[in-house]
This record gives sequence, structure tokens and C-alpha cells, in this order.
Amino acid sequence: MTDWYPNDGLRKRAPIGVANTGAAYAPVDEDPQDREDDKTFKPQRRPQMVPIWPTTTQQWIIPALLSVAALFTRLYKIGSADFVVWDEAHFGKFAGHYIKRRFYFDVHPPLGKMINGLAGFIAGFNGTFEFESGHQYPQELNYTVMRIVNALFGAAMIPLAYFTAIQLHFSKPASFLMAIMVLCDIALMTISRFILLDSMLLFFTTLSVFCLTVFRNLQRTAPFSKEWWTWLFATGVSIGAVASVKWVGLFAVALVGLHTIEDLWEMLGDLKMPPSHYARHWMARIAGLILTPIAIYLFSFVIHFAILNRSGPGDAQMSSLFQAHLLGNDFDQNPLELAYGSKVTLKNNGHGGGLLHSHVQRYPTGSEQQQVTCYHHKDSNNDWIITKPWGEEKQSGFGDEIEFVKDGDLIRLVHAQTGRNLHSHSVKAPVTTSQNEVSCYGNSTLGDANDLWKVEKVDDMVDRQSPRIRSLTTRFRLRHNLQGCLLRSHAVSLPQWGFKQAEVVCQKNGDPNNRNHMWNIEQHWNDDLPPGGKGAYRSKFLKDFIDLNVAMWTSNNALTPDPDKEPDALTSKPYQWPLMLVGLRMCSWADDARKFWLIGNPVVWWGSTASLVTFLLVLGIYGIRWKRRYSDWERPGTWDNFYFAGKIGFVGWVLHYAPFWIMGRVTYLHHYFPALYFAIITFTFLADHLASKLPGPLHFTAISLLGLLVVSNFVYFQDFAYGFTGPAHEYRNRKWVSSWNLHD
Amino acid sequence: MEDDTISPSSTLSTLRHRKGHSTDTSLDTSTTPPPPQQDDEDQDEQDTKKQQRPPYNPQRGFDAMLLLVTFMAFFTRCWNIGDPAQVVFDEVHFGKFASYYLRREYYFDVHPPLGKLLLAAVGYAVGYDGHFLFDHIGDDYIEHGVPYVALRLLPATCGALIVPVVFLILKELGLSVAGATFGAFLIILDNSLITQSRLILLDSMLTLFCVCSIYAWIRFYKKRHVPFSFEWYFWLSMTGIALACTTGVKMVGLFTVAAVGIAVLFDLWNLLDYRRGLSLREFARHFSARALCLIFLPLVVYLAFFYVHFAILVKSGPGDAFMSPAFQDGLLGSEMNTNSSAIPFFSNITIRHRETTAYLHSHPEKYPLRYDDGRISTQGQQVTGYPHRDLNNHWTIEPVDPALYPSAAPYTPTDQETERNVRYVRPNDLVRLRHARTNSHLITHDVASPLTPTHMEMTTIPANDTNRYNETLWKIQLVADDSSDKLWSKRAHFRLVNAIHNVAVHCHKGQLPDWGFGQQEVNGNKALKEANNVWWIDQVEHARIINGTEIGEPIIDPKTQPQKPTLPFLSKFVELQSLMFAHNAGLTKPHPYSSTPITWPFVLRGISFWERKAGLRQIYLLGNPLIWWLSITGTVMYAAMWIMDRILLRRGIDDFGPIRTWWDNAIGFLFVTWLTHYLPFFLMGRMLFLHHYLPSFIFSVLVLVCTLEFCFVRVWSLSQRKKSVLRPSRTYVMLTSLIVVGAAWGYWYFAPLTYGIGFESVPSLQSRKWLSSWDLQHA
Repeated sequence: MTDWYPNDGLRKRAPIGVANTGAAYAPVDEDPQDREDDKTFKPQRRPQMVPIWPTTTQQWIIPALLSVAALFTRLYKIGSADFVVWDEAHFGKFAGHYIKRRFYFDVHPPLGKMINGLAGFIAGFNGTFEFESGHQYPQELNYTVMRIVNALFGAAMIPLAYFTAIQLHFSKPASFLMAIMVLCDIALMTISRFILLDSMLLFFTTLSVFCLTVFRNLQRTAPFSKEWWTWLFATGVSIGAVASVKWVGLFAVALVGLHTIEDLWEMLGDLKMPPSHYARHWMARIAGLILTPIAIYLFSFVIHFAILNRSGPGDAQMSSLFQAHLLGNDFDQNPLELAYGSKVTLKNNGHGGGLLHSHVQRYPTGSEQQQVTCYHHKDSNNDWIITKPWGEEKQSGFGDEIEFVKDGDLIRLVHAQTGRNLHSHSVKAPVTTSQNEVSCYGNSTLGDANDLWKVEKVDDMVDRQSPRIRSLTTRFRLRHNLQGCLLRSHAVSLPQWGFKQAEVVCQKNGDPNNRNHMWNIEQHWNDDLPPGGKGAYRSKFLKDFIDLNVAMWTSNNALTPDPDKEPDALTSKPYQWPLMLVGLRMCSWADDARKFWLIGNPVVWWGSTASLVTFLLVLGIYGIRWKRRYSDWERPGTWDNFYFAGKIGFVGWVLHYAPFWIMGRVTYLHHYFPALYFAIITFTFLADHLASKLPGPLHFTAISLLGLLVVSNFVYFQDFAYGFTGPAHEYRNRKWVSSWNLHD
Repeated sequence: MEDDTISPSSTLSTLRHRKGHSTDTSLDTSTTPPPPQQDDEDQDEQDTKKQQRPPYNPQRGFDAMLLLVTFMAFFTRCWNIGDPAQVVFDEVHFGKFASYYLRREYYFDVHPPLGKLLLAAVGYAVGYDGHFLFDHIGDDYIEHGVPYVALRLLPATCGALIVPVVFLILKELGLSVAGATFGAFLIILDNSLITQSRLILLDSMLTLFCVCSIYAWIRFYKKRHVPFSFEWYFWLSMTGIALACTTGVKMVGLFTVAAVGIAVLFDLWNLLDYRRGLSLREFARHFSARALCLIFLPLVVYLAFFYVHFAILVKSGPGDAFMSPAFQDGLLGSEMNTNSSAIPFFSNITIRHRETTAYLHSHPEKYPLRYDDGRISTQGQQVTGYPHRDLNNHWTIEPVDPALYPSAAPYTPTDQETERNVRYVRPNDLVRLRHARTNSHLITHDVASPLTPTHMEMTTIPANDTNRYNETLWKIQLVADDSSDKLWSKRAHFRLVNAIHNVAVHCHKGQLPDWGFGQQEVNGNKALKEANNVWWIDQVEHARIINGTEIGEPIIDPKTQPQKPTLPFLSKFVELQSLMFAHNAGLTKPHPYSSTPITWPFVLRGISFWERKAGLRQIYLLGNPLIWWLSITGTVMYAAMWIMDRILLRRGIDDFGPIRTWWDNAIGFLFVTWLTHYLPFFLMGRMLFLHHYLPSFIFSVLVLVCTLEFCFVRVWSLSQRKKSVLRPSRTYVMLTSLIVVGAAWGYWYFAPLTYGIGFESVPSLQSRKWLSSWDLQHA
């Protein structure tokens, strides 16, 4: 039976209460006075490392079995839905963009989507299918292969969970239970079987935790060994990858970060550690856990930009120069220099800036004139005509001489679609109320001096001397002639009435060097001027990277629930998740359709939530007992292991769950899944810890019963993951909670 | 709260004695007779003891200074308090609420009642009858005969009393006379606290109760070596009562509760330590005493405020509409009693939406064929929500015809119905609603609604169209179960649920485009339970109903109406409290002077309360920049020094030695209090204003004062091996005096904005505009 228990070796060798693990490994919140004896330093006896991988064939049996079960559950009937399910509509389409190499924009970092692109490539996908929601997959598209790639990531979680549990010093049965819980959770399984990002996100989260636990155990046993360095960098790579799939991965980064800070704090108190040694610990972590993840994240964007070298639907999110080097756009048709009468689009130079835009809708506040915004898509409402100021217009006639726009000129910008003039006045802007509103006002005859803007050339990449304004390469400011304020756009979204487009204001006392006040000509049409041809200039990677990330951030923040509309059936609130109050319909709910319902395994979800509460309770009881001088942790290392596993599970859960309460954006059920993994760790850990107080056979029995309960629920609810046809109310017995939207 | 002395039983020594501070016997308890529980001994304790030891006896200094600062505080708060004799800023609200108490008319506000009750009490005492409603900023008080000076004196008194309480807090924390006086002067000379105290506002009361809670807690904590004594219980209960009062003025008082709560948990945790020698039984006694005085007692006091609130406000008033029908039932003269009638079929009725108070409306205009997003409609007649009275709001309520809809429940008339020859609408009846002017029936069908595509379109069909009869049937579903067998106007809240499609008539604030005249969208919602699906019947026109009362029913005169049995107090409280929370969170409408929490400590912007062009007068809520910038610097400095000290300690370097206890516990408590009054605002979604920072500001001043005291008195004494820790050095007195002189200059310089006395010239006003973000009106 000893085989079940973690092989930490020490418990057999060290007599109770004698061994000293050294200050670095003592319980953190212990009273410093209690550690007085730590200052008489003895040679340190290190705990023995838990083997990372099984050493004998016999020990491979459990992980192998788990892997087979994982592959079977994840791959079984994976192609049964031959239509686009749920967010496959997005991520399948993005895969298509990689294959077509067309630049697109999305709120998530690229790594996961590139893996899906690769999956499409393996499947022989030619990129033509548009992945419209609910549509049938065409014959030639082997969507099963794309789903299998996703499922493999999901399946890999299960053996990883097992090895993680072993590293967390759980008993063998408990480790097995943890893997079973991950294996048999309906929600984790369902989400892994479609072309999405979540299986990769979950996989890299699991991997990060595993690497962190191995690294921590090596830190205790063999710091600076070859293995230690390997796992340090493995952790770094893993957290880099998780953040490169979705930004929620940053919560896993935060977990690793917090652990590292605590680790360094512990070592700081180790007075016998030479400062140079301590400095090495710092350097190693900076290299492994800060620089490596950043490199991975940047690298994923390098590849992203390298693959997407053609013009596509996401162009307008990026700077004009970036777009200029994409294949397949018509920027080379732009005349070189700006003249009166030219029709142009104006690009804001701030990070993630859009195109100056106006549309017939009016401001609901302020002047109630026509809205002016910055827009990140190309349409004809972005077109403006450069016109002379009032009273200086030339009568258009044949053979007029072209007059170029020069630095310092006063111009009037006419919105091509509505004929109104770009206008500003001392009326408060709608969101940034400290600045002036910018609107469109009047027409070709009606207007005033508030329609005039002064062109201030900042610089030009090519020609610094000429006062003329060039397409793409010249940066300039537009200063309002009367107010002296600067035309500005920034990453502030208008409310729903402005379609969440970016606000445009006139900045009083604007800083002339601020990029938000700078603009350039992106597209330029003038029949009287020859096309300028293709320039060789291109933007810098780092600028593109920042631009794209700012745009992602802004769009992500704009995904807020609309207060004027009722919440739809897909979104849910964070408080509903741990209590499992909601399911999510992933596709059409028609009687004859194949239906997938995203719902957890009740034992896993409710059990894990209960364990989080119980954990706090148990911690409180141990705290009181410790204050009252009961010795619960006499065996060296036991408190350490308890503390570490509890920390990973509970703190990991808090970090992955609590931020959703604060976030303003819409939240969905699947946002809880990474947190669920940590809740599962807490559950298993606590079950193992409490059951270990029982005699051996009962310990085993208790864990096995929990496992059986999990599996039986899995069997009962499996149809929701594998898909079912027929009226949903035939499953009404399985509607355990009245708020589940299983049937109407 | 670690022990300074090590009990003999403990063989452990501490890190802090490593650098030889243990040789400083003056700080050890060996020179004082051991108190009953030596383990409990604490630095603060020793300080107090030393104060009383000759030759240095600061008590007289404390008394004299207390008198001085109190006088100064009253002077700065009350000077010229009657000017301007006009309604200023939020006096609009709080003055009005005081008037409602005096008129005993029910009103609704997001803040708990205590502050407004106190204002009303002052009004009552000076014989004010509540005739004035403070409707507009700038309304003249003298013209309307309002005793506004008396009303303003209450907040001013509270604002002035903050100063002596702060002084006493500092004294109890063991500061020198110089230190405590210094702290009190920083509070006296702060312009924002003065501005906020001189008007009919709640913040000075809130802040006073808040500092009182902290003071009482400190007094209690210092009595911990005589647990369960009378004084111990007294200060514990005072803490609880002060906390209840703080929360009773504004809900932000919960932050004070959090601060004290953290301190209580910390204290209990230390009591658990086995070295304290408490048995678990004794510990349980400690625990229950705190639970009694800090949870139960405040709760009772807090509820008492609401009890008084409901006891005074017995008449129907402007707040009726916020409350449930059952609640309104209990108000004298409520329309719910005087004008409610049963509804006979074929009456002409108007139906109103509970959440937005719009009328259910229809007009001959049709939905456009194609919406902006390209969807196609049926071009049926529009059904909307309209906020104003209009003939198009009238609907005739008709019963279901069993011939056309056989599954309808059979109808059997009651005796009364037979006698009166009418049929009354009953809850759960199936009804049809015929739009009176266009003679068409309300219907919904499986077509997406214009603004909310997930909901069903609501329209009407001509009265003679019987093909779609079933779709025009609506079931009246009451929200709350009512024992009545009739549907009552005004009183019954219900949903209209379609018999076929099982959707409820739904309305929300979203406005239809121009084709719908900007009226509100009405549609069919599948989620029946939503709050926006609830309606009530306002007017009923029927031959039998005259002046809102049916023939044969008793006429109710609002004046002589016997008061109906009202809801139990607790149900009223729960209803009001949850409404307060909901409306408070809903205060998101942008306000020109709202600001974000991060800007507060740096005086980046103020709030313009009142202004007048003549004499360049303006009352502008603005902190004294010198004090504010200094206090935030001091607070950040404390945090930085605390972290540095911990890092050094971790490396075995102990610079503070025995004075760390005070450093950690006394200043740490103030710092945590600052945090709990400040950080939560970062999480709030509602509109926030500078004055929300004022309680935190006081604690940041306290942190500053204590940090300076620590550096210049305690550290200095430690390094000099002085016997007396408390005698402040000359340098310290000089430094604090210098700061006070600077602060006094700042106070004087910005006083015209504080008191609104105006400036002589525009340049002198412009010179006050230190930051471009300060909105000085006439600069």
C-alpha cells in the first residue's frame, strides 16, 4: 500500500520533529520567534525529488490507460456534427485567413489561431469556406482533422493532470481521481472537440501548472541543476504560450509570478545564502520567467505577420504603412502629393488608431450634430474631400492648375457622402467631456469659420524639405483655426449610439508630439494626378505589434454588454458558473438538429466549488490549531506540501475567476474552464488530505467512490457532449436545475 | 501586536534585539510594575504610563490645545455661514428631504435616513414647517423664509467636531502634544473639509461618525488588559454605535465597518495565541462580546433609524412610485387606496409600464418595411411605449370568447357581479386588448422586433380579423400573489402573457428611430420573469366608475381615511434597502464634475458648488493643495518605509527595534483605514465625486502626522537613548510649525473659493488657478 503514497522519502528517515528543512522551506506565516533555532545553521538535508516520469513499465500503466481513455472520449464521434458549431464560425474562418494569407483582425493573440490554421493546412483546407454559423461543411473540407488537432490538446490535459498531481505529492489514487475528473468533465470535453481556442488554452494552462510544480520540487532538491534550468525555461515557454492563445492566460502568468515572488522572499530570509547566489536566483528567473514568455509572445506575432502578407478584412486596424506593404491593396494607385480637390481617407497615428469617419447619425448630446468618429473598417463614409476655405473656392473649370496643399494651409474637409464639413466648436465632447466636440455640419454653401483646419506638417519619411503633404509617409496635425485645438482620436469607445466606434475630439492645449494628434493620408484619389507607385517603405515590427495589441485591447473593452438591450441567452454572469446555474446551447435547438449543450459534470462542478469553501474552513481550523500550539505538521515537508498544493489550487482558482467580476466585458460560461481546473486540483487535494486521516483501505475506498460518482455522472450526461437529436425535452430528467436552458 | 516582552516561559529571543537595543532599559517593562497580564503589555500602554510620569506631564498641554483647536475649528467652519443665502449644490437634495420629513411625506433617496433625520430635527427645533422644497440651485432662502442658517449649523458643527476627535485620536495613539496639535491644524486648515461642512450636506456628519468609530475602537483596544470591565464594554459598544451611525448617514460607512472589522480579526487572531494563556472558553467569551457589540448592536441601531424614518413618513409623497403596491397601501392618501377600483370588462383603460412608467401606446403609423440592418418587418401597426398622456394610450379590455377559443376556462358570475350586472377582470383571465382609436387588437407573432431581434414583434390587427384570434389572447399574470378575486387598478402589478406564444409584453428604455418618433420599443419577451415585463392599470373609464370610485363602493377621503394595516417593519426595511442599493449602483449618468478615484489625492480637480458673476464669486470644493500633496506623500512614504523595513528585517537587519510595534500597529491601522476608505471606489461603477475621498483624506493626514512623529520623536529618542520618548525635539516643533504656517497660507490663499466671498480682480482669481484642470468659472 505504501506504493500509493508520494515517495518523499524523508518521512521514513527523519525522526519526528528533529530534521530541519532550513529557513527557506519553513512555513511562511510562522512566527519568526518560532524559527529561532534556524539561525544556528546546520548542513541542510534536502528533501528527495519526486520522479517526474515513471521509472518502471508498471508505473506507466496508469498514465497509459488514462491517455487511451482521453483519446477515446475526445475523438469518439468527433465528426458527427457536419455543420459549423458555435464559435467555429470565428476560429475556422481565421484558419482560412492563414491559409489564404489574408490579414485579419481579432481580439485574441495569434498562437492558438495559427495552430488551427496549421490544422486546416493538414486537413487540406483551401480557405474558401467562410465558416458561416450553422452551415453545412462542404465535401472537400475535412473538418474532422481540424477538430482532431483541437481534441489532441484536450486529451493531453489528462495525463498531464495525473503527473501534476504526483508532483503535488498526492497519493496515487488521488492523482488518478484528478485525472478522471478532468477526463469526465462534460464541459472540458465538449469544448475540446470543436475548432476553438479553448482546448489549447486549457492545455497550456495545465502545462504551466505542471512545469511550475516540477520546478518548485527541483528548487527544493536541486537548484541550478541541469534539470532545474530545463524546467525553469519550460515554465517560461509554457506561460508564454498560454498568454499567446488568449489573454486570460495572463492569470496563469500571474500565478507563476506570485509563486516566484514568494519563493524569492523566502530565500531572502535565508541568511546563509550568499548574496551572489541569491542574485543568480533572480537573474535565472528574470531570464526564464520574464524574458522567455515575452519572447514567445512576440515570436507568435512575428509568425503571424509573416504569414499574413496579403491585404484582408483586418487592414484598417493597422497603420497605413503596414497596409502599404501588404500584397493586393491599391495604395500604389495613390497620387503622391495632396492637392485641393483630392478625395482622401485620414488615418490616425495613435496606437490602434482608425480612419476619420462620419455618418448620418447624430450625437444624442452636445450640439446634436452629425457624428464624427474613428472607424476600423473601410467604407465610403471614411472619404473626405480637401477643399479651400470659405470664399477662396475656385470655380471648377477645365484646365485648372493643380494646387497642392502645403504645410500651414487652411483647409476645409468635406465629408464625401453627406457633403457636410468637419467642424468643431466649444461644446463638450460626448465621452471625454473636458475636450471639444468634433462634428459634421453645414453643406457646400452653409458653414462658418469653425469648419477650417490648419495643416501642420510634422515630418515625412521620404522628403523632409518640401512643404507638401505626401500620401502615407507624411505625418501632420490638423489644428482648429478658431479654437487652436488639435484633432484627436484615442482609444475611447463611444456608447452604443456611436456603434462603439472610437471617439474623435478636439484637444485643447494638445501636446503636439502626441501621436494621437497626428494623421496621415491613407488612400488618395485625384483624377488629375498620376499614381505614385509602390514605395519601399514599411513599418517597424515593434510598432505594428503595439498597434495590434492596442487595437485588441480596445476592441476587447468595447465588448461590453449593451445596457439598452436585454442580455441574450449565450452570455452568463460569473456568479452563475461555480454553482453551475447555466448551460450554453452551442447550436440550433430545432428538434431535428444535432444539438450540443455545454454543461459541466455536476459532481465535478459542485464538488469542486464545495471544496473551495471547505479548503478555507480547513485552513482556518489548522490556523487556530497552530495558534493553540497543536503540532499537526511535525513531519518535515508536510506543511510545505500542503501549503503549496493548497496555494496552487485555491490561489490559482481565485486568479482565474475573480477578475471576471471586475471586467466590464460580456462573459460566457467557457471563461470559467481554466478556473475549473484549479478547483479540481483543490477538490482532489482536499479529498486526499482528509481521506488520508482515515486508515489506508478507507482512504482508497473514499477516493474510489468519488471517482465512481464522477464517471457515472459522465455516462449520464455524455449525450450533451457527443450531440443528440430529437426534441430536447426528452432529456427533461437531466434538467437538474430550473435555470438550465436544456429545453424551453 | 507582537509582544514586546518575552514571557519567562518562552526560551525564544527575537531578532529585534540583535543590534543591542535591548540595552535600552527605559523602554523595557522592568522599570514599571508588571501589570496583571504581562503578556498583554504593549508599547502604547507604556506611552500612556510615561505621559503621566513626572517631570514631563503633557496633560495640561493637551487640554489647552484641545480647547484651542476646537475653537479654531468652529471659527473656520461657521464664519459667514449665512452667505450665500441661496440654495447651493446638493442642498437641493438634502434640504428637500429634510422638508419632506417635516411634512411627513414619503420620499425616496439612495442614502440611509440618519443624516437627513438630524437635519429635519434641527428644522423642527427651530420651528421650520417644511414649506420650501429647495427645487433649484440659486433659489433665495430669505425670500422663502427658510431657517437655513440653523440647518447649515448642524453640518458645520459636525465638521468642526471632527477636529477635536482627530486630536484625541492622535493623543490616544501616544503622540506628543506638538504632534497631535499639528495633525488637528492640518484638518482645521483644509479648505475642502470646510466647504463640505458649511452647507446642508451629509458628508461632515459621515466623516464625524467615521472618526468617532475609530476613536472609540482605539479607546477599546487600549483597555484590552482589563477585558470585560465596564470601560471595556463601554468603548466596545460605542464603537458599534458609531459604526451604525456612520452607515446610517451613507452606505460608505461600510468601509469604516471594514476597517474596524479587519482590526477585530487581527486582535482575535492574536488572542488565540497560546501564549496569551486564554482558554478556548474565554476566547469564546471575547468573540461573543465583539459579535454582540459590533454586529448585533449596530444592526439594531441601524434598523432603529429606519424605524423612525417609516414612523415619520406616513403620508403619500413623491417617493411612492418607487415602492411596491403593498408598501404604498400603508401610506395615507395614497392613490392606491383612494383611486383604486376593480376593472369591469369593456372598460377603457390605460396601462403603464412599471420600470419606465411609459403608457402602452399604439398609433396608425406602421413599422417600416425594411429596417436599417436590412431585416424585413410585417409593416404592421406600431405598438410603443409613450411617456405622456395621449388618447392613443386607451385600450378596451375584452373577455375571451369561448366560442372562438374553446380551451378558455368557463366563466361563472359571482353574486355581486349578477347583482351589479357587470363582469370584473380577474387575475389569470384571458383578455383581449382593443386599441380604442384604431379599433384593432394587440397581437404578437414570430417576427423579430425592430431593436431587439431576439424578441417578438408587437403589433395590432383589425378588430374584424378573426383568423388570428388565438394570438390576440393575453393572460393576466399577477407578479405577487393576491388573495383578491378581482384585478385592481393602480394596485395590481401584472404581466401580459400571450396565450399561444408564451411571451410577455415587454418594454424598455431603448428608443425607436425616427419612424417610431423616438418612442420606446415594446415587444414580446420569452423570458417571462424579467422586471421589464411588469405593467399596471392606471385610469379606468366605465359607466360605473365615477372619480375613480365605483358606484356601490365606499368613497375614501384621503384626509379621514383610516390607516390600513401596513407591511411589517422588516419587510419595509428590506424593500427600501434593496431599492437603495439598486438605485445607488444605477447612478451612472455622467455628471460634469464627476471624477475618477485615482485623481483624488492629487487635487487634480474640484467641484463647482455655486457661482455668481457679480463680485467674481464662486464656491469651489478644492482641497488645500499643500496639505493634500503633503498627506499623500506621507502616506506613500510610510508604505515605502514599511516595505524597506520588512526587507531589511528579512536580512536580519533590525533598525527599529522596540518601536516597531507602534510603527506596525498604530500607523499600520491608520494606513489600512485609509485603504479601506479609498480602494473600494476603484471597483464601483457609479459616478464618483471628489467628496467621496474626504474620509480617506483625514486618515492620510493621520498617517502623515504619525510617520513624522515616528521619524522625529521615536526614532530620535531611540538613537539618543533618551529616557522619555515623548518629549518632542525642537527641530520637530519647528518643522511642524513651519508646515502649519504653510498650510495656513494655503488656507488663506484659497479661502475666497472656500467661502465664496469673491475676488477683487480677474488676475487675482487667475493666479489661484494652479492647475489648468481646476474649473474656476470666471478666470
